[in-house]
Amino acid sequence: MQNETTKIAILVAISTLVFLIVPVFLILYIRSYNRHKKNHVLEKQNMQQKFESEMLQTRVEVQDQTMQSIATELHDNVGQLLSLTTLTLSSVNLNDVEKAQKKIDNSLTLVNKSIKELRELAKLLHGEQLVENGIGHAIDQEINWLNKAGSYELKINNQLIDLQITSPNKDLIILRLLQEIINNIIKHAQATDIQIDSHLTNSILHLRVAENGIGFNPEETKSKKSGMGLNSIYKRIEMINGKLILNSTPGEGTSISIEVPYP
Amino acid sequence: MRYFSPIIIAELICLIAAITIIWKDKNAFGKVITCYLAIALVTEEAAAYMAIRGIHNLWLFNIFIFFEISTILYGLYHCLKEYTNPKPIFIIGAGIVYPMYFSFFINHPFADLNTITITVMSVVFTLYCLYYYYLLLKDENFIEIKTHPQFWWVTGVLFYYFGSTMSNIFDGLFTVKIIGHVTLRYCIYIVLNLILYSFWLYSFICRMKQQKLQS
Repeated sequence: MQNETTKIAILVAISTLVFLIVPVFLILYIRSYNRHKKNHVLEKQNMQQKFESEMLQTRVEVQDQTMQSIATELHDNVGQLLSLTTLTLSSVNLNDVEKAQKKIDNSLTLVNKSIKELRELAKLLHGEQLVENGIGHAIDQEINWLNKAGSYELKINNQLIDLQITSPNKDLIILRLLQEIINNIIKHAQATDIQIDSHLTNSILHLRVAENGIGFNPEETKSKKSGMGLNSIYKRIEMINGKLILNSTPGEGTSISIEVPYP
Repeated sequence: MRYFSPIIIAELICLIAAITIIWKDKNAFGKVITCYLAIALVTEEAAAYMAIRGIHNLWLFNIFIFFEISTILYGLYHCLKEYTNPKPIFIIGAGIVYPMYFSFFINHPFADLNTITITVMSVVFTLYCLYYYYLLLKDENFIEIKTHPQFWWVTGVLFYYFGSTMSNIFDGLFTVKIIGHVTLRYCIYIVLNLILYSFWLYSFICRMKQQKLQS
């Protein structure tokens, strides 16, 4: 009888010890899980911050681009027109009425042209706000500005103009991507024809820019770390979960297709 | 010497910490726990007093069990309500434990220790503690475990009631065993109480750190 009691007592003592060790492991498990949760939350916050700073940078770059276009326009067009007007007016001879009349008419034409140019520039300044009016209008504005330069044959198929849904962050990034692609064409492509198509199908926004320029070798350019242009395009596409298809062969032009889930 | 057993010393330290730290808390939890600790201390002292004089003292613990059930249920309710509405499950739990407590005395004299209630209440409290951990893990926010008072309070409760399961179940079968001057059951009881009051003391210290940060 005493033996049995002793056995039971030992059994109880050991099992109580086990029952005390179990919560210890439970606490350790909870601690580890909680730490993972904390890291996850902090990482998410970090990514959110990075995203916001990237958006800010994009906004600044779009503004910069607009300012540059305005500066170029002012210098090349409006400045020239007004200089010509000054020249014309300063050469007016009041004694020769007929010639003076002609010169004043010319000056009027030049001034009217300047006013027209300034109006276009004002629209371009407003162009930033067009991102709030929808990506279709913003793309349209960029294309208009490209058209004014006159050096390209443009084929446009922009089906996004009457789009009712907007996604402000994605709109800004898509506009910036278009600006960068157009900049690359102007700087490097030596193209004469540009084709721009955009449409929204099955909740995916498609944007395609094709030109008949000198083309380039995408693999070679990717490995060269010098140019930041393509890298920033790829980075921004990733940010909005988009896909970018780049086709280019030296001598045969380039086409860039962007597909972004939208909204 | 038996007036100052390890349990009583632990309870005293815990009570002093509770009075200085959590008594002035806005919510009722602080006051409830402090009163409970005071009642526990008085019960232990009275039981020691009776034991020395050879008077049967288990009925004291029967009274104490009632306060224990109420306080621990309230404490667990307070901790669980941060994450969910625990009223339904607590009504069920109370609906099991209290009737069992009172119905025991229909068939047994009050002098018998209410062991069946102790066993059932241990299981119920353990389940509530585990449920608290589950809700804590499920929640999308993380907590600073090192300084989270409720977590350590619940942990103390879990250690005590889960650890006492085996000795509760085998209660009648080995109380005759003596190790040194005390029974094994009493040894286990001392260890469990020390663990419980240590965790509670740490919980109060965490609460004190929280109060310092908030002020």
